[in-house]
Amino acid sequence: MLNTLKDIVRKSSIHVCLINCGGCNGCDVEVVALLSPRYDLEQYGIYVHNNPREADVILITGAVTEQWIKKIKRIYAKAPEPKVVACIGNCPLSGDVFNQEGGNVHAPVSDFIPVDAEISGCPPRPSEILEAILAVAPGAIAARGREKE
Amino acid sequence: MSSVIWYLYEFARKTWVEGFADAKSKPDIAEKPERFRDFPEVVKELCIGCGACTLSCPSPHAIKLVREEDSEESEGLVYPVINNRACIRCGFCAEVCPTEPKALRCGENHLIREEFNIIPSKRQYLVDDFLCIKCKKCMKSCPVDAIEEIDNKIHVNQSKCIVCGDCLEACPVKGAMKGVFIDNLEDQKAVIRLVVNTLEKFIESKEEELQELPLNKLLKLELPLSEIWDKAIAILPDEEIAFEIMENATDRLKINIITWDDSKCTQCRLCVDECPTGAISYNKENNTVKRDSDKCLRCSNCYQTCPFCVVRYFVAKFLLEEVDGEWKILITLKESQLVNS
Repeated sequence: MLNTLKDIVRKSSIHVCLINCGGCNGCDVEVVALLSPRYDLEQYGIYVHNNPREADVILITGAVTEQWIKKIKRIYAKAPEPKVVACIGNCPLSGDVFNQEGGNVHAPVSDFIPVDAEISGCPPRPSEILEAILAVAPGAIAARGREKE
Repeated sequence: MSSVIWYLYEFARKTWVEGFADAKSKPDIAEKPERFRDFPEVVKELCIGCGACTLSCPSPHAIKLVREEDSEESEGLVYPVINNRACIRCGFCAEVCPTEPKALRCGENHLIREEFNIIPSKRQYLVDDFLCIKCKKCMKSCPVDAIEEIDNKIHVNQSKCIVCGDCLEACPVKGAMKGVFIDNLEDQKAVIRLVVNTLEKFIESKEEELQELPLNKLLKLELPLSEIWDKAIAILPDEEIAFEIMENATDRLKINIITWDDSKCTQCRLCVDECPTGAISYNKENNTVKRDSDKCLRCSNCYQTCPFCVVRYFVAKFLLEEVDGEWKILITLKESQLVNS
């Protein structure tokens, strides 16, 4: 009974931390658009805190530059369990246009931390980001919460 | 407590409940609007494997050209595979795809819209820089100032040109300003080939007359246009284009004709080594020298080499003209003045 109640509450309150690990900012702008009244992220119970310590979902944008390799691992370690990692845009998935010959990016992000959701696009539409967060986060959070007990 | 009562009162209002129950997001928030490009779709069967898409793609890992394994009946298909994890949906690949219809599609693409095209016309006006004398008469005649001088070269700005044809009339040099037909280039080539081949066959059928032609005399022949016309129209149905192509082709055409008189040949074989394509061969058994007209370039090396006048070399020129209400190709043949004069 308590578990089901916890699940319901957790599913409708997702805290998000947005990390740009070396991209062009395009995807971050799309996330900001998500916060605007037009898409209104908070009506789904998703809050952007930009603080890994209280995040359930870590949104990653950007094609992992050299300096971000260590930091991204640290940020991932700081987020409390249960946590979900969602990659926004193509950069964390493949490096996209930055992954040229002789380039210095360390994509994909999945080399360093486990990734739960991938949202491709350059940038993806806000609705796609929202869809992906809602598809993966509530279930994963609820399930992982139970695992621990 | 009072606030709880206020909330209960507020939420119980009919308009609020109705609004809450009917709340919907606008369709363009949830779905992709029509004007947006999506990831490209590949139609394998249409792909010609030219690789233009991979070349135009700004993202290094987005497009791979793959080839399917060959089966016993047919060769494997070559087609691009789009990696959605790297594709940036710029639509360049769909834009450059040369097949008709396109093998790569990604929804609406602003750069291939019809409105951006120049005035629809069969012709495009071009300046032949080799023939142009830079008199600038065309520049003065142009009503829209589409003709410019760049780097001492006259140039037609196609985005301004309204295809009126005034420049063509103003040009004092024949062929310096051209009204080129831009569509069906392959058909145009086929018509030119048809004209040249028919004329060559026609002249070679008159070889006996040529043999008897004395030096410094002209041989005049006529070929009615109607003999070629039907075939040409079958290739290129537009009569205006077909006629102009044939007129231009005959006007500039110069065909060299080689005649070979075996009776004078002494089998000296001087010409055999001289021939650049090996078209002349010596047959030991029959003791004959033979020329293969399919290999022959009509370069006249054999004619200049032969000491016995076995080979004769003629130059044919052509003119398309209306004679007594019938269009005819007039042919004048003249022995070349290379050596004997």
